[in-house]
Amino acid sequence: MTEPSQPRQPSQPARIYRAPREWTRLHPVSPLLGGWAVFGVVGTIALYNVAPDWAGAEEDLVEAAHWLWGSLLWVILAAVVIVGMAIGIGYLQWRVDEYRLSDEAIEQRKGVLFKQHKQARLDRVQAVDVVQPLLARIFGFAVLKVEVAGGENSGIALEYLRLGDAEAMRNELLALAAGVKRAKAEGRDASVSAVVEADAVAGSPQPAPVGGEGEEPADASAASLRDVTGGRRSLGGPGAATETAAAPEREVYTVPIGRLLQSIVLSWPFLWICTLPLWVGLVVWIFPIDVNEILAVAGASLFTVVPAVLGLLGYFWSQLSGGFGFTAAISEDGIRLRHGLTETRRQTVPPGRVQAVQFQQSLLWRKKDWWRVTINVAGYQDDQAAVSTLLPVGTRQDALTALWLVLPDLGDPDAAGTVSLALSGTGDEGGFTPVTRRARLFDPWQWRHRGVRATDRALMIRRGWLVRDMFVVPHERTQSLGLTQGPLQRWRGVATFTVHSTNGPVSPVAEHLDVADAWALLDAQAQRAAEGRRRQTPEQWMTAVGIREDGA
Amino acid sequence: MSWYDPDGAAWTYVSRKLISARLIVLWICMGLPLIAVIVVGALTTAWVWLAAAVFVIGGAWGSWIVYRQVTAHAWIERDDDLIVKKGRLWRSVTVVPYGRMQYVEVEAGPLSRAFGIAKVQLHTASPGTDASISGVPESEAARLRDRLSSRGEAQLAGL
Repeated sequence: MTEPSQPRQPSQPARIYRAPREWTRLHPVSPLLGGWAVFGVVGTIALYNVAPDWAGAEEDLVEAAHWLWGSLLWVILAAVVIVGMAIGIGYLQWRVDEYRLSDEAIEQRKGVLFKQHKQARLDRVQAVDVVQPLLARIFGFAVLKVEVAGGENSGIALEYLRLGDAEAMRNELLALAAGVKRAKAEGRDASVSAVVEADAVAGSPQPAPVGGEGEEPADASAASLRDVTGGRRSLGGPGAATETAAAPEREVYTVPIGRLLQSIVLSWPFLWICTLPLWVGLVVWIFPIDVNEILAVAGASLFTVVPAVLGLLGYFWSQLSGGFGFTAAISEDGIRLRHGLTETRRQTVPPGRVQAVQFQQSLLWRKKDWWRVTINVAGYQDDQAAVSTLLPVGTRQDALTALWLVLPDLGDPDAAGTVSLALSGTGDEGGFTPVTRRARLFDPWQWRHRGVRATDRALMIRRGWLVRDMFVVPHERTQSLGLTQGPLQRWRGVATFTVHSTNGPVSPVAEHLDVADAWALLDAQAQRAAEGRRRQTPEQWMTAVGIREDGA
Repeated sequence: MSWYDPDGAAWTYVSRKLISARLIVLWICMGLPLIAVIVVGALTTAWVWLAAAVFVIGGAWGSWIVYRQVTAHAWIERDDDLIVKKGRLWRSVTVVPYGRMQYVEVEAGPLSRAFGIAKVQLHTASPGTDASISGVPESEAARLRDRLSSRGEAQLAGL
């Protein structure tokens, strides 16, 4: 364990990957995988060139494209030069882009002109993702993204590693993050070798069998989970003493492709598109407009219509691609999410890293009782929608399971019943504090559906009449609390209560509560949040999902 | 109907000097066009004086708002958290636990420095946290910053 890591030798059979302790470069193929966006530029020029006149592209652009296309040689030359330059720059960047893993942190340094040295503390890791864009996926490479809660661009992205290496590194990272703490909790030496040795002693030769296929995922209790992950994280197999195997995981739900497609069909953008001819026909019928004129307008702006259509298709595509093959699993390392059609993403969110949860159900989904569940995870900055989905579409049972993944203990004896009432109840059903009738001025219909309720562990906020909406915020994840009141609200004696969560798609707010209720809630939540913070210590990471620690 | 008032703690109101500082800014914004309008009015038709009246009334109204806002701006340091309240017409209260503070910022422009006041801003991991205290006397601001930082350190919890 103590010898310095050896340089990787791809030719060697049964290669064992271990995250490097010394500065190491990324895989040499990286510059080639990054530079292909150039073809998009060439394609665009070609598109403008072949577009017929009636398409109505801007004259200057067409002229420029014609000029470019006119001399094919130039185009080819330009493409070669651009591709060459992209690869060249990529190569230069690759040469200085290095990373290493230490006991406490993962480090990356890069930059040709502007040097950058990033360090992500392992006990501050918010999520670890293995992302495979299409091209990288074809050739078996992946990006490893380590998210910490430090704002824009604070995370570390290693582009590209071999898929196997990226996964092995993720496992090792998470084992270290959990193991360092575990060792600290037990007062042991919190170093890599100590942890790995401890694992080697405790590890059984193979992962514990994943049991309980027959039972309902929703019935998964902490006890059965313990059975699954009770066998300690094992190390690869015989002889693979330095490669950290993934913690055994238990799949809790998947999204069937049929349901995903149905959910896209049952969405407002899809309905609008399907009924668009109807609307256009209606307008033409009501307002006698010359059809040719419309066509002329449409023709003149074909270059604006096409992107709009593409944008709409892009919306459906992102829905489909993001939710394709969506699988959620739970393991010792936390929640594992896998999804993606062309670009696949395997997310690992350690326990207790989810800041807030939101359940949503549009009117179109109500008959099916389908729900979408989104989460806030600190550190996820870019493409929030793609990474912040816990369940793209699922039954009520799936939604409850999703919440259980995040919050195994809701602090309520009848968690499922309470959450069910939180999802679709009205008034004070389920022990909720309803809003006052005086709020009718602001919400003629919605006021009956609004309500808040705090359990021992989390605050639930219910709202929504047509689009049902429910927030769950664990008390210890409360960043700060706010209370606001405008002049009209003051007249009606109501106030808006806000729980400030980290950056993300979920922003929990309880509007138009009775002022007295709002004050009481503010006081009580401040109290509960303080208690939650005291209860929560970093060592509880391992126990948060109900996994027993068999003292190694 | 009174507004939020936690038990067993008294609000610390911000310095009245903030009124003067804000009034100066307000009257620079209102005064310069006012002078311009008066000059134009003197040179051309007296109807332009109506615009001057608008500026005067606007300025007076703005001054009243400044006075009302500043006198409603206060904070409380409790054992676990800091409470900031502000606003009269649109009023708000923000409760920031010390353990959630990422950093504290003290900011003072030239005008604020001339009046010896500063703005103390608390930042948490949430972009929604709107906890800034304007018009804290300079010495108090430094003390507040140190006190908040030390309390934050003592109670710091993971995200």
